[in-house]
Amino acid sequence: MKITLNVNGAGHFVDVEPRRLLADVLRDDLGLTGTHLGCEHGVCGACTVLMGGRPVRSCLVLAVQCDGSSVRTVEGLAEPDGEPHPLQRAFSAEHALQCGFCTPGFLMAAAGALEADPGLADDPEAIAGVVGSGICRCTGYEPIRRAVVRAAREQRGTAGRAP
Amino acid sequence: MARWARREDARLLTGKGRYVADIDVPGCLEAAFVRSRVAHGRLRAVDCTAARDVPGVLGAWSATDLPDLPPVAILDRLSKDDAVAGREWPALVKDRVRYPGEALAVVVGEDRYRAEDGVAEVNATIDPLPAVVTPSAALRDDSVRLFDGLSNIALRGEAGTPVDPSVWQDAAVVVEAAYRQQLLMPSPMECRTILAVPEGDRLTVWAGHQMPHRLARSLAASLRRPADRIRVVVPDTGGAFGSKSAMFPEYLVVAYLALRLGRPVRWIEDRLESMLVATRGRGQEQTVRLAADTEGRLLAYELTIDADAGAYPHLGVTLPMITASMATGAYTTPHVHATVRSVLTNTMVTYPYRGAGRPEATTAIERTMDLLGRRLGIDPVELRRRNFIPSDAFPYETPTGRRYDSGNYSAALDLALRTLGYEKWRAERSRRHDDPDALPLGIGVSCYVERSGGEAGLLHEFGSVEAHEDGTVTARCGAASSGQSHETLFPALVAEALGVPETHVRLIEGDTDEQPEGVGSFASRSAQVAGAMFQHAAGLLVQEARERAAESWGLPVDEVDWADGGVHAASGGPAATSLGDLVKATGPLRVEDRYETSVAFPFGAHVAVAEVDPDLGTVNVLRLVAVEDCGVVLSPATVHGQTLGSTVQGIGQALYEGITFDDVGVPCLASGFLDYLLPTFAEIPPVDIRHTRTPNPGTPLGAKGAGESGCIGAPAAIVNAVADALRIADPGLLQTPLTPDIVWRAARAPGHGEGVR
Repeated sequence: MKITLNVNGAGHFVDVEPRRLLADVLRDDLGLTGTHLGCEHGVCGACTVLMGGRPVRSCLVLAVQCDGSSVRTVEGLAEPDGEPHPLQRAFSAEHALQCGFCTPGFLMAAAGALEADPGLADDPEAIAGVVGSGICRCTGYEPIRRAVVRAAREQRGTAGRAP
Repeated sequence: MARWARREDARLLTGKGRYVADIDVPGCLEAAFVRSRVAHGRLRAVDCTAARDVPGVLGAWSATDLPDLPPVAILDRLSKDDAVAGREWPALVKDRVRYPGEALAVVVGEDRYRAEDGVAEVNATIDPLPAVVTPSAALRDDSVRLFDGLSNIALRGEAGTPVDPSVWQDAAVVVEAAYRQQLLMPSPMECRTILAVPEGDRLTVWAGHQMPHRLARSLAASLRRPADRIRVVVPDTGGAFGSKSAMFPEYLVVAYLALRLGRPVRWIEDRLESMLVATRGRGQEQTVRLAADTEGRLLAYELTIDADAGAYPHLGVTLPMITASMATGAYTTPHVHATVRSVLTNTMVTYPYRGAGRPEATTAIERTMDLLGRRLGIDPVELRRRNFIPSDAFPYETPTGRRYDSGNYSAALDLALRTLGYEKWRAERSRRHDDPDALPLGIGVSCYVERSGGEAGLLHEFGSVEAHEDGTVTARCGAASSGQSHETLFPALVAEALGVPETHVRLIEGDTDEQPEGVGSFASRSAQVAGAMFQHAAGLLVQEARERAAESWGLPVDEVDWADGGVHAASGGPAATSLGDLVKATGPLRVEDRYETSVAFPFGAHVAVAEVDPDLGTVNVLRLVAVEDCGVVLSPATVHGQTLGSTVQGIGQALYEGITFDDVGVPCLASGFLDYLLPTFAEIPPVDIRHTRTPNPGTPLGAKGAGESGCIGAPAAIVNAVADALRIADPGLLQTPLTPDIVWRAARAPGHGEGVR
């Protein structure tokens, strides 16, 4: 089936089998390998991308379901001039990644939450929901929580370290 | 401030990481395996005919179709000759399936979809046999043998000498218990990966791996090719935790097919495969006996281990010997004896998983210490203090054959208790005990001794330091990072040793062409061994630079000093030159060496506070304090990250992670990570991490291993806290993981509430 996808601001026409996963189209057809597959059954969250601004597991979405949609991946997180997104800086500063495999999924889940809720910094439960939405086997999660808080505070305009 | 805290972050945070699955190789074929749905059985036939007709499938083969496909070779003393004799591990099943998921055939296709289409068309006929999935079952039922005519016991061993019966008879108190340490899945977020690319008469193998040189040697030995015809390159690796340090059957098949077809072949293990056929960790059934006098001074300790080796003895059969040799723990027990039987079962092979034998040893002694304390009415903290190896007794020779290098065990425990606020929680524990409406609360202590660096024969690392004309430096080594920040930390270490800016040093590792010899990253050894090697090599470079400068200037070497990244005459004056200028003047400057270290024994103490709901069987860990002593810390942030991550894996072992099997020995994993529960953020209690610092006397650098302590210490602390909350008399009621079902039953068992201290 022929579909159109807008990925990170660029339009793509792709011809895909109906069964083909969004994750595989992103990775193999478009070369956007920053989206990782960790479990392929929607639990670990490593493959999370934004579809129409909302986080989805790209291993559970068929590419044909995205026809005409806009998709944002970790490659599209930084500013066009290369300036890192506050989440990217915060993840580094808080040592919220080690092996880095799950990281794009956490970044995109957090990016979706931040964009949906500018007041995220003041909502610990919502932040816990974001951090609890994925599996990381390296960090023990607390550094990820701190990074999301840090970026959320920066977005709100009161930069500072997470408690 | 630099934009990124680690060099790795620049690519890993922007989608520019490069894992094996990300590498774009034109014409690359993807492999998929046909896997057995039964745990044990006789393979009658495999028919790949229909698979070969599937569009996009390039080929499909069973063992019968590939008579020259070699079996898995053993290397690096991972097993013993008499354990593997008569027990071949074929890369594809020949006539007998011995574990569920064992590969029956392989299909390669233009992409993974086509390959899996082919897999669906392969027909295999297997006559099922009864399966045994625990050591006790494999020992009990002698009619089920994994290898006809051979015992299911693949290896016997011991550490220490048998305890004289009079010691038990004469002791004031003897406690006994049985523990089961369940099989765990290491579960790195990236499963196993391999990409084999034929290039002329060479094969380049890309793999997420901890030991590229071992993989290269293993493939070369199995495929009977000269070692220098195989290059292994490790790109970004998405976690490993011990599980990516060997050559596995699938790797052999992929490399073989790439050579046979003359085309690149890749296998990316999916999660369901990983849960079926990636190596497991732990898997021990233990019994213990501990004797003490009335004051609680330990007299003798006996540990028997029936270890689940899995279906083939090639990778992990000697692993439980680490548990046996570490049985002594942190105490001055005069008589310690540990015995091992490594037992073959119809499960995937057991192999090192973070902690690798030490969590099993720590959990056995630390749970038993609490049992003894309850029996004697001695506070568990006080009982430990009475028996610690004193800080002035190092180096200390244990009855189980270890020579502990250094330690201050009471200091670590004291810091843990202080950090927790032990007395406050003791008071809360008592208050709740007297309040029938309050949920019971328990405090659990676990004092561990870790063993880092590896075992004899693998305590060295290779590397080099090379200075360039532009003043930059290249460091190479045989280690391979799977998240441990080598790319940042090793250059920083070399830069500091040389007195040059960090930005002038870069690291190359994980490539057997760049670094012909190497050992790798396991046993928490990167800082301890490779770090010490780099410090040593940097010293050699300085020495060489001083000698060259001395010759140029006509001075004795001892009148040439090294400072700020350059040489200068000790007497002052114009004789001074930078490293880069020295290279320009005197030619290439590169030193390489093999650096040998000794085993190190990090240690520490974990204290957990847990609240238990006896009606629901739930455990709520309220606080966890982890005190770790890994000697000199090179990077506090990295060590903190290792400790926390490892501790969370220990929480998983204690409370969540476990495999259940159906009646015919197949793991119940249809729902993947919903059947095997890894801790998520929702399960993480407040964890405080502290460090004491007792330098490693074995190297000038003074670092010990830091990667595994958390999962060594945490499980026993948590289980002890639950046992304390429920005042359980029989520790056998609390077998990990402490699921609500286990805890609910334990809370209702006869004898509950006895042994109150």
